[in-house]
Amino acid sequence: MYLWLALLWIIGWGVVGAVLIPRVYARRDLDVSQAALAGAMVGAASGPFGLALLAYFTPRLDWKWVVVPGAATVAIFLTAFAATYPNNLCVSNSAFVLTQVVNGLVVGIIYGLMALGLTLIFSILGIVSFAHGEFYMLGGMFVYYLTQEWFPGLHPLAAVVVSAVLTFVIGALFEVLFLRPMNTGQVERPGEYAILVTFGLSFFLQYTTLALVGANPKKVPRYFDYPRLAIPGEEGSLLKVTPGTVRLFEEIVIPSPRVTAAVIALILLGLLMWFLYRTWIGKALRAVSQDRQAAAVTGINPNVMNTLAFGLGGMLAGLSGASLVQVFSWVPWVGTQAAARSFVIIVLGGMGSLPGAFVGGLIVGVVEALGAGCVPDPHRAAAYIPAYGMLILVLVLLLKPTGLFGREL
Amino acid sequence: MNRNALWIWLPLGLGVVVMLLAPLALVSRPYIMHIAIVAYFYAILASSWALLAGYGGQFSFGHMAFMAIGAYTTGLFAKFVRLTTVPTGVCPEITVGSYTLFLLNPVTAGEPTCLDIAKATMPAGTLIYRPPIYVGILLGVLLGGVFGFLIGVLVLRLRQAYLALFTIGFSEILRVALNAEIAITDGPNGLELPPLFPKGVTIFGMYFDATSKIPPYYVMLFLFLGSMVFMHWLASSRYGLFFRSIREDEEAAAALGVNIVRYKVLLFVITSMIAAAAGAVEAHYIGVITPNILLILQMSLVIAMAVIGGMESLVGAAIGAILIEFALEFLRQNITIGPWTIDMTDWRLVFFGLLLMLTLRFQNNGLIYPIIQRLTRAGVTEEIAARRRLVPETVQEGEG
Repeated sequence: MYLWLALLWIIGWGVVGAVLIPRVYARRDLDVSQAALAGAMVGAASGPFGLALLAYFTPRLDWKWVVVPGAATVAIFLTAFAATYPNNLCVSNSAFVLTQVVNGLVVGIIYGLMALGLTLIFSILGIVSFAHGEFYMLGGMFVYYLTQEWFPGLHPLAAVVVSAVLTFVIGALFEVLFLRPMNTGQVERPGEYAILVTFGLSFFLQYTTLALVGANPKKVPRYFDYPRLAIPGEEGSLLKVTPGTVRLFEEIVIPSPRVTAAVIALILLGLLMWFLYRTWIGKALRAVSQDRQAAAVTGINPNVMNTLAFGLGGMLAGLSGASLVQVFSWVPWVGTQAAARSFVIIVLGGMGSLPGAFVGGLIVGVVEALGAGCVPDPHRAAAYIPAYGMLILVLVLLLKPTGLFGREL
Repeated sequence: MNRNALWIWLPLGLGVVVMLLAPLALVSRPYIMHIAIVAYFYAILASSWALLAGYGGQFSFGHMAFMAIGAYTTGLFAKFVRLTTVPTGVCPEITVGSYTLFLLNPVTAGEPTCLDIAKATMPAGTLIYRPPIYVGILLGVLLGGVFGFLIGVLVLRLRQAYLALFTIGFSEILRVALNAEIAITDGPNGLELPPLFPKGVTIFGMYFDATSKIPPYYVMLFLFLGSMVFMHWLASSRYGLFFRSIREDEEAAAALGVNIVRYKVLLFVITSMIAAAAGAVEAHYIGVITPNILLILQMSLVIAMAVIGGMESLVGAAIGAILIEFALEFLRQNITIGPWTIDMTDWRLVFFGLLLMLTLRFQNNGLIYPIIQRLTRAGVTEEIAARRRLVPETVQEGEG
């Protein structure tokens, strides 16, 4: 009951604030760039009182005006939740909450890796690839077919590398064949062309895979069986490892394939950062993302960088698929939801921002884990999981289209 | 009548006559009739999406969501709204004159609704009606317009990829909600709807029962033709010019006095209402609607139809949709080449994905639209070329 009242308050006054405050600021000829967001947050947290003060004094809005009321809103929501469902596992059992959060962070790292590919493509080509989920799906499919069908006994990590190469080649090939004409002036309205043609690629790849491999779920056994281990001892251990699980402080349980996937993802992130910040090609990529013309003047071929970026982006999605294929069962349309999640992450983090993609991945991972674990009525909770992310996406696009770390539009 | 006008009106008139008379030839082949009805349905969606995206430049991926809003509105209206001559006393209700309009409460299968409870106390001779189907359809269209207005207002600032992402988000939220609220929408099993004419219908003295495909065929055909005429009028009026100016350059259009906000929202409202109408009629015709119509696959089909037909031509998109729907149905048969049997149910979609990409890349105007252009504008190119030759000093301007 309290929860619904609190939600009504938050949504109602949030909308009022988001609509009214920009008008007040615009009428007084002040900066309105943050007004909608700050208005929504202040309204959600403090209702008419805060809004009246804000409208009367119209202070200069900096990040504090977003973060403080934002935190207050979250606090109001959590308090109301705890008051409404005192027996919910998330309220009464801290170990459960910690397990969910840690699992969310672990999966969030891989989500972040995939979104990083999308944001890399956006920052260099200026387009959103709607086929990103299909590269994710292909990455997992390649690993399955390499290790289970074509070369049984192949080491999974070798298969991951091969699948990375294959997804890179597919991405680069597509870029050369279909996206390069955008830069040579052969296409009217390139932005819209890019949306449609990547959409077509998604359609094509998904149905080609479906036609070739069928709709049966594919399952890859976990890459590594962890050795049994307990530190410091069996009793009261800080870290206890069995072949299938990793257990922290006796209470937080993480399935070991997820740990493997997260470790792979972290190594890849390190490699990617080294590549982007320490090598000539990486610096060239970032230069193109900052200013195409200036980069071209200094002797960087922007077309080559486009191909490289699209291939790399596809490869990152393929790699996250390849590391998650041991966690989930794999079907040709598995990429749809992963792609939707990546869209949420890059919009949340700011389109084209690399740290934004990583932080956004962690946030989305935790929100999904908590949402799945905490919402009462488990059937409905499970059914609504994809909607949480989309709600974040819609809200961010409305209130702050540049996201957390994005460049100003 | 000059030659060009003849080339426009002759094929168009022939096409309309064929569509009007087709049922005579197809009475004994209900399967073909069915495909034709579904093809008109997709033609309405593809051409209204072409108006939104091709003319207005608003690349919305939420078109199927508006269609679903229309379909679910009329479905829920038929499921939950009843009229009686006596107030029930237990259901949420309002009394208008001697009739009472009330809502049934959502229950799980097997439990009594509030109507069942109320029946026990009702006096003998109480009449309970289902409200007419067309009221539900009209409500669906209206609600589609309302949502179109809301989305149109919300996406005013968003362009291209941002707009696409926002509309995908909207569509997905709607799909998830329809899937999850099983008590109301019956979730993934789908909501069952009464047929368009539950008691059958008599046209020109001929009686057609509720399962006959001829009345729905004409309803869908007239909806299709009506929306085409309306959209064509809109696109060729000054509004169409405004829409295209918004597509080409919003700032420039605004600077020249086009009210961007008004026409963008108007475009969303009109196309959503058309999509909602198509969805409502189609849902009643099929008899069941599931949240899966909101899957991205369905949206990509509509987009593929519009693009292959020609995104910047309403007629092109509609013809593209009709041809593709027929092709999709006829390509269902498996093909056997020597020892291999190819299951075409999946490969046909691969083929259309490839066709979509190749069309976009090499034939940006679609495959049907250039043919229409050739027919209607035959001779124009030569004329322009001849004029150019007369004025050799024309300044050549590069494309920006």
